[in-house]
Amino acid sequence: MYKQQVIRRIFLCCILGLLFPFSLLAQQAVDVTAKADTNSIRIGEQIKLQLTAKLTAQQFKDANFKVLFPVLPDSLDHFEVVTRSNLDTLVNQDQHILHQTYTLTSFDSGHWEIPPMHFEVFSGANATADSAVTLPIGIDVNTVAVDTTKAFKPIKSIKGVAWSIWDYWLYIVIGAAAVLIIGGLIWYFRTRKKPEPVVKTPVVSPYEIAVRELRTLKEEKVWQQGDIKQYYTRLTDILRTYFEHQFNIAALEQTSEELLQNIKPVTKLNQQRDKLRSLLAIADLAKFAKLQPTADEHTECMQKAEEILEWTKPKTGPAEETGADTTLEKA
Amino acid sequence: MENTSSDIRQLNEKIHQASAFVDLLTMELGKVIVGQRYMVERLLIGLLAQGHVLLEGVPGLAKTLSIKSLSSAINAKFSRIQFTPDLLPADVIGTMIYNQQKNEFVVRRGPIFANFILADEINRAPAKVQSALLEAMQERQITIGDTTFKLDEPFLVLATQNPIEQEGTYTLPEAQVDRFMLKVVIGYPTKEEEKQIIRQNLNPELSTPIRSIIQPSDILEARKLVREVYMDEKIEKYILDIVFATRNPEDYKLNKLKPLIAYGGSPRASINLAWAAKAYAFMKRRGYVIPEDVRNICFDVMRHRVGLTYEAEAENVTSENILSEILNAVEVP
Repeated sequence: MYKQQVIRRIFLCCILGLLFPFSLLAQQAVDVTAKADTNSIRIGEQIKLQLTAKLTAQQFKDANFKVLFPVLPDSLDHFEVVTRSNLDTLVNQDQHILHQTYTLTSFDSGHWEIPPMHFEVFSGANATADSAVTLPIGIDVNTVAVDTTKAFKPIKSIKGVAWSIWDYWLYIVIGAAAVLIIGGLIWYFRTRKKPEPVVKTPVVSPYEIAVRELRTLKEEKVWQQGDIKQYYTRLTDILRTYFEHQFNIAALEQTSEELLQNIKPVTKLNQQRDKLRSLLAIADLAKFAKLQPTADEHTECMQKAEEILEWTKPKTGPAEETGADTTLEKA
Repeated sequence: MENTSSDIRQLNEKIHQASAFVDLLTMELGKVIVGQRYMVERLLIGLLAQGHVLLEGVPGLAKTLSIKSLSSAINAKFSRIQFTPDLLPADVIGTMIYNQQKNEFVVRRGPIFANFILADEINRAPAKVQSALLEAMQERQITIGDTTFKLDEPFLVLATQNPIEQEGTYTLPEAQVDRFMLKVVIGYPTKEEEKQIIRQNLNPELSTPIRSIIQPSDILEARKLVREVYMDEKIEKYILDIVFATRNPEDYKLNKLKPLIAYGGSPRASINLAWAAKAYAFMKRRGYVIPEDVRNICFDVMRHRVGLTYEAEAENVTSENILSEILNAVEVP
């Protein structure tokens, strides 16, 4: 009885022992490889080490299935990592191949091994971790053969780089652009239409304006139509505007009395003071006291205005030159 | 009813005759008051235009003498009230006192019951006394107890302010100052005038007493004529332009004045400007107002009605400066 039990246990163990590697195989199920592009380099030369993991389409789609590539330090035993590429995916029929390339170099002569690469594989809902390991790769790092029988050679001078037009492309482009711009500007200024000469309209002098307005006032026959107030308002406004522009007296903002005071420094105008006084007096009465001057007075006032204008008419230029006797601060 | 040309001519002649007393009055006052013609002229404007006058000047400038002489020349009743911090409204307008014999309250009229009042140093009395006087000035009547008394006409208040001393004074608020038609700033007499003042005071026999030239009723008649003085629409527009320029200077291309003016003239300013211009025209023996009249009284009517901002005060800009700018910018009709 005991013997049978012992035999049964031994048998069970054998069965389990045989099945164990298969279960491991089923778990891993990822084909990982590390492949070098050469097994022999000269000292300092570079090796391309390609790490590859092949996944089935089902594994690739499985959200719980993950393969972590080994992260190599900058320096391995006898090897230095020069560059690392990003992880790339290649779809090949029903297989998804993940691969990453390392560039390694070695400065130690001899036979060295790139160590096995450990890939971490996570699978299942519980994220069961497992490792997939590649085989080590042997690399021969050879030194350069030195002929010791020959004498030492001097250090080579710096080797010149061959001249190429592309080294100067930026300067060429800038130069061409500058030439084009300058050429364009020359062309523009030569071919553009010359502005037509501005016809200068003669500046109308205050005197001319005043004369014209007096003529208009006369032609409109304002007082003849009974608008006495309007007639004298316009008549005095014409004179005041003329004084303002011709002699720089702020006549429009001054009362008649102030105006008569302020024309004193303007000799030419002051000579017509009496005429101006009588005109302004009649105008003020007509404007503010409803006085109805006679027709003769209307004509006389117009005549006085014309005489004042004629007397003070500037000899040259639209505005009288400023002088000691003709200038007056705008009051 | 619109005035016609002949109406104005008649009015002009009437005023020319009626205003003759102004020259007589000025001459009579000139007997005792040396210089200060400007102040006397302004007092007459106030009298003719039914306005009151606020005088600002240092003591000793013949303010009291002027108004006293004016009242003598018009044969009117004069009283002087010295405003002090302890003055009460009853001291000005009067009060009810108990008469034991008659066993009743009787009214005791205050000094305000006169034709000409000199309210000396008005800013020394507290606000309630000031307002009692100013109400009387405006209403021209006084109520004591249950009885309202009409004040005698003509009624002119000449209030004085000392511009130097500010301590212990109650500055008149803007609303109260606005009740004065004119604010006249008077200055010192000239050297020649002052020499004459000295001589006149050292030899009292040289000065002759004031004669009564006219009666108060003549002033009331003159006031009626002043009211009739013709003011053209153009002059009205000119007055409005000046007052509006103090309110909205930017409308008259005076943008630089905008930050300097806190408030402009009130409608009372326009009314008083028109009244004073008419009175001035009357004094110049004219039956119509011309722009000169408006300009002549503009500063006295407007200077206390233009409020200055802190910015203006910081820059030492006065209301006179602002008014000058306005008068130089507003077109004369």
